Amino acid sequence: MSAITIQSVSKRFPNGFEALKGIGAEIQSGSFTVILGPSGAGKSTLLRLMNGLETPTTGEVRIDGVTVDSGKLRTIRSKVAMVFQQFNLVDRLSVVTNVLTGRLGHRSWVGSVFYLFRKEDMDIAQEALSRVALTDKAWSRADKLSGGQQQRVGIARALAQHPKVILADEPVASLDPVSSEEIMNLLREICDRDGITVVVNLHQVELARRFADRIIGMNSGKIVFDGSPQQLTQSALRTIYQREGIEDDTSLDMALAYA
Amino acid sequence: MIVRDLDISFESLAYGVADIGEYFSRYGQPDFTNLSRYLALMGITLATALWGTVFAFLVAFSLGPLAARNFAPNPVVYRVARETLNFMRAMPDLMLALIFVAALGLGPLPGALALGVHTAGFLGKFFAESLERVDKNVCEGVQSTGANFLQMVMYAGWPSILREALGYTLYIMDRNVRMASVLGLVGAGGIGMALHTTLRLFEYGQSAALILVILATILIIDYASAWLRRRLG
Amino acid sequence: MTPVSTWRWPTPNGLPPRSLIISALVLLCALWLTAPIVEVDFVRLFGSIGKMAKFAGQMYVTPDWHYVPQLLRKMLETIEMTVLGTAIAIVISLPLGILAAHNATPHLFVYRLTRDLLSLMRALPELVWALVFVSAVGLGPLPGVMALAFVTVGFMGKFFAESIEVVDPKAVEGVRAHGAGWLQVRLFAMLPQALPDIVGSVMYILDHNLRAAAILGLVGAGGIGYDMVMSMRMFQYDRIPLIALSIYLVVTALDRASDYLRSRIIHGSRKSTFAT
Repeated sequence: MSAITIQSVSKRFPNGFEALKGIGAEIQSGSFTVILGPSGAGKSTLLRLMNGLETPTTGEVRIDGVTVDSGKLRTIRSKVAMVFQQFNLVDRLSVVTNVLTGRLGHRSWVGSVFYLFRKEDMDIAQEALSRVALTDKAWSRADKLSGGQQQRVGIARALAQHPKVILADEPVASLDPVSSEEIMNLLREICDRDGITVVVNLHQVELARRFADRIIGMNSGKIVFDGSPQQLTQSALRTIYQREGIEDDTSLDMALAYA
Repeated sequence: MIVRDLDISFESLAYGVADIGEYFSRYGQPDFTNLSRYLALMGITLATALWGTVFAFLVAFSLGPLAARNFAPNPVVYRVARETLNFMRAMPDLMLALIFVAALGLGPLPGALALGVHTAGFLGKFFAESLERVDKNVCEGVQSTGANFLQMVMYAGWPSILREALGYTLYIMDRNVRMASVLGLVGAGGIGMALHTTLRLFEYGQSAALILVILATILIIDYASAWLRRRLG
Repeated sequence: MTPVSTWRWPTPNGLPPRSLIISALVLLCALWLTAPIVEVDFVRLFGSIGKMAKFAGQMYVTPDWHYVPQLLRKMLETIEMTVLGTAIAIVISLPLGILAAHNATPHLFVYRLTRDLLSLMRALPELVWALVFVSAVGLGPLPGVMALAFVTVGFMGKFFAESIEVVDPKAVEGVRAHGAGWLQVRLFAMLPQALPDIVGSVMYILDHNLRAAAILGLVGAGGIGYDMVMSMRMFQYDRIPLIALSIYLVVTALDRASDYLRSRIIHGSRKSTFAT
């Protein structure tokens, strides 16, 4: 059984915008998939369907055979973790507490509402922090860290959930090249060592080529490419990044020349 | 137009200015003979305000998140919580005090309850509005871990608004001290009763003393709460 | 050193932060000490729930429809008191605000004096002033209007002063350079800049004053307050719900109106920042 099944999914937003137009795919367990595409292609929407932050208008998404719907969000989210472009940490809380929020899906409400955690949870958080090499910053306030460090906290939080799947929505878009390298390496290492399925949204073609097992290219809500990095030729890139209605796209040509 | 409707005669006011001058001069000699009793009453008033504020905070803490669109578990709960808070705000504390006095008898307790219920409405609405302003990204971050309503509120909600919330609670405490001073007029304990009596009996000296005690206390509380709020912010 | 128990807080020593513990203890002490003063008695509270229920039950009678005209008149009086008191206060607080702003005041002494005066006017609740004014000018809405205006001047004066203090000094210089006199500088350079914020605070003040006006009748200063107290004291259960309902409706209407106006103004002012 594949980890993630996307079946005939469409998503239309209340303002009429059709983000996804009838797409389907299967993502294998333990694989590292990169979704590539221009802004507005629907990458974010697709990712957010996988952990229930959005619901499909038609079709369904299944994680390990279980359909993602509003009744089962807690169970789904205990298996599916997300890393965000803006890190989405709680600024005023310490790094440790942020990582501990990863355990909230697993803990019943009694202790956690009073900020009480079991020793096992503290150990898991400790482990996650050492995995991302941030143990020395454990008690700092989250907003006092640099961008790269904050994203590592985000990944630690994801790890603390002991997930089967990690989704990363443009995790390096706000980071400098060195931090980006760090984060992508971290994600790849987690996939390889722990066998966690990783799906990453990127717009940097270079990173996609270097880190992905499989690349899914999207444009205007449809999947227009699905294959290995080796198969990502110039013409394939052109299909992914072509803009509607622009026949002679010099910007596109220039960008692809350097990609 | 309004002036005519209210049948306010500014002439009588003008004529009365001289009288007013004379009237206020009667307050010139504050009579502090009963000072210790007044201070004790002021103490009761302060205590009433404290309990009222604490009660208001507890209620607002519970209802506030339910009345915040981005935290409420479902739209029905949201509407009900919002309307309840609005209702609590709309009822004047004095009216609530009257009701509670009818149920509990005289004394400071009905006053504290009345203050508590009324200001819970204000505080609750403020909490709800603060929670609605919390960054969507922060909420989604916590949401993505599978947190339920209570966990969302405690981890994404309160840490983000704690400063403002405490500041506003202090403001409410300040306000409650003022209101507690007058609740005595309906028998809800405290210094209001004393002032009403002395004015009725035309004991201007004592009234002046009472007003000064009330004034001094309110000013002290004002400074204290402003100081605390500065330390918070 | 981790504590023996399995539960702990996310802090280095496993306990909640010190500031939290201290504030919680202080508060609990204060509450425990003052409990007897406030006669907090949970037995009494729970016992009274029965009485409250009975009280509420007695209000399920046919409303006293004959009372409605008087009710409406009193509510109208309450609203008028609010509007008039607020209007008078705004007029008086404009010059006082100028005097209490350190960039517009003629003399530092005047500034100090006005600031302190405004502070005093703000300090006491309207009801206290209403008591005093009733004692001075007699019963009726006049002392109510006076009390409302008095306290409102305290608030609005301070608010105007603060708005004037954050006015752009360059604009003021510009007007002054054209030879404008003392008063003209204040009227044409300072006030216009301070005015936009005023609408929001006027709405807030109106809301506050309406609630205050509803109560002033208690001491005979006009409005629905008197009827409210009397009907409670005389257990006129056929009137109490009507009074409560009418207060609720009027206050809520003003509340919604001011929310709406405020959102429109915020929307409008956002537009103007783009226009530059």
